[in-house]
Amino acid sequence: MPKPHVLIFLAPAVLVYTAVMIYPLFDTLRLALFAADGQERVYVGLANFRRLFLDPLWSDQFWNALGNNFWFFLIHMLVQNPIGVALAALLSSPRLRFAAAYRTAIFVPTILSFVIVGFAWKLILSPIWGIAPSLLDAVGLKSLFAPWLGKEAYALTTLALISVWQFVGIPMMLIYAALLSITEEILEAGEVDGITGMAAFWKIKLPLILPSIGIISILTFVGNFNAFDLIYAAQGALAGPDFSTDILGTFLYRTFFGFQLQLGDPYMGSAIASAMFGIILVGVCIYLFGIQRRLRHYQF
Amino acid sequence: MTALTLENVSKSFGKVEVLKDIDLTVEDGEFIVFVGPSGCGKSTLLRVIAGLEEATSGEVSIDGEKVNGIPPARRGIAMVFQSYALYPHLTVQDNMALGLKQDGAPKARVAEQVAKAARMLDLEPYLKRRPAELSGGQRQRVAIGRAIVRDPKLFLFDEPLSNLDAALRMNTRVEIAALHRTLKASMIYVTHDQIEAMTLADRIVVLRDGRIEQVGAPMDLYNDPANRFVAGFLGAPSMNFFERLPGTRAGEVLGVRPEYLRPEQGGRLRGTVTHVERLGGDTNLLVASDAGEGFAVRLFGQDPTRVGDDVAFDFDDARALRFDALGRRMR
Ligand SMILES: Nc1ncnc2c1ncn2[C@@H]1O[C@H](COP(=O)(O)OP(=O)(O)OP(=O)(O)O)[C@@H](O)[C@H]1O
Ligand SMILES: [Mg+2]
Repeated sequence: MPKPHVLIFLAPAVLVYTAVMIYPLFDTLRLALFAADGQERVYVGLANFRRLFLDPLWSDQFWNALGNNFWFFLIHMLVQNPIGVALAALLSSPRLRFAAAYRTAIFVPTILSFVIVGFAWKLILSPIWGIAPSLLDAVGLKSLFAPWLGKEAYALTTLALISVWQFVGIPMMLIYAALLSITEEILEAGEVDGITGMAAFWKIKLPLILPSIGIISILTFVGNFNAFDLIYAAQGALAGPDFSTDILGTFLYRTFFGFQLQLGDPYMGSAIASAMFGIILVGVCIYLFGIQRRLRHYQF
Repeated sequence: MTALTLENVSKSFGKVEVLKDIDLTVEDGEFIVFVGPSGCGKSTLLRVIAGLEEATSGEVSIDGEKVNGIPPARRGIAMVFQSYALYPHLTVQDNMALGLKQDGAPKARVAEQVAKAARMLDLEPYLKRRPAELSGGQRQRVAIGRAIVRDPKLFLFDEPLSNLDAALRMNTRVEIAALHRTLKASMIYVTHDQIEAMTLADRIVVLRDGRIEQVGAPMDLYNDPANRFVAGFLGAPSMNFFERLPGTRAGEVLGVRPEYLRPEQGGRLRGTVTHVERLGGDTNLLVASDAGEGFAVRLFGQDPTRVGDDVAFDFDDARALRFDALGRRMR
């Protein structure tokens, strides 16, 4: 049993955390077990989840959004994080001049609002007023242009790449910090061993920054499965064209608050929110218990 | 065959000239120690030899071949760093093997070299461990092992023992000396520690402010220093310098080592003891002389003298070294 003063010191944090995190979370999970019957709220057990996963009216949208979310995440993992690592490796090269300027320039989009980013890219890529068609035209590649945000086949990938553009600064900064913490003498020992340039990156630096890459991956996972704002700002709550950019966040928004002709249903919304919570929880657990344990943190 | 030749080597960082016109020849199999005060350029000189820094001017040759502009891995050297600089993510075995593997050496040869080094350094029980799971002394041995497997023509050590405690230092020093006898390779060793310098070196190179002050066998430097700096740098407690003794001319300085002073009633050096260090085997006294020049005395065995005692000492003139006003030795 801890001493009383320990409890007193812990109390404020516990109370605040409970009020703003624990209570809403459990209330959402609880709400997912009810449904509206006229004005009444009735307990329906897991019926909401059964509808969500099995009733085609809901499940088509749910699996579509989930699949899109995985694609969104995959693009971030395959594009954002490798580019972030590569940029960090370039920035940490002692021979690079103006490194601070590049670092700032690459990081700036991260602090921009989604609304601005979504709107700006919509303008850039617009087939009518956008500068993308004319820029491509100027280099003779106009035939490559397509209304990327308007085509079902490209829209989600395009949005994912916009998000990559916005957030690549974060993995870059984390990896950059990790690279700077590798002691100079270890790299010099490598140099004496003939391990320089790319070999030094693959054989010495990369293994030493793996823990940071793991952290970035899990941050990306959580961020992507909670994403909503960019899609909403660029494509609206219907996540067009024809739901091709719909992810769990936008699906939840439409369901919970209602949109246009669709009425809001807080109970189904809670069920979706609970499902998202479950997915993220599983992902984080896989990382914590499956991956992070194998990654060693090294002190120098 | 000469293991290393430096000709007029200079090194500047921007405007700061750190090494000035260094000339040095190291014979095959020699153990050379660089000593000098902190910041005098010992590490820089070692790094220029290793190729981690390029000389601003001058020529570096290893084993008769000019190596300016050649990367460290192809100079035939191996280096042991002060912080060990082991690869934290690799086991002891892989730490030692990485350089050879990078060279594309056949597997059998890598295994053989690693096994040989492990045997020589008693590292066999630890081959599967990572550096974090080793003690400081074991890490140091791995760092030395990593150097040995490459069969270098020239070993470079930068203060390899300075992170070890006193007892381990002594042991490792003996091991390095044994290693030098076994491998018969040329070694260059940087240290702050006089005892390491005196006990390990075939020849000592004394550096000051980026210049070589003197090169010679330890006892030659000790008995016959070329100038006041070298005389004062080697020996603990360091040499006493007197300017105001009867018989010294103006501008002339007389140097006498603390162990050459002997108690003598009515001797030339009189004063009051201000501090006594009893080391068991020796007793060191610090004395404030009546002439205003403090000096140290080293007495063999245990001595009953106490702080505040009035004492008198004298020395053989043959034991005294004379220096001019600029610190040069007068013979
Ligand atoms: N990369 C560098 N850039 C600028 N100056 C440097 C650099 N490396 C060393 N110096 C300077 O060169 C001088 C010699 O440094 P060096 O490290 O060779 O000294 P040292 O004799 O090894 O000293 P210590 O005994 O403290 O290790 C110092 O004045 C140091 O400030
Ligand atoms: Mg140094």
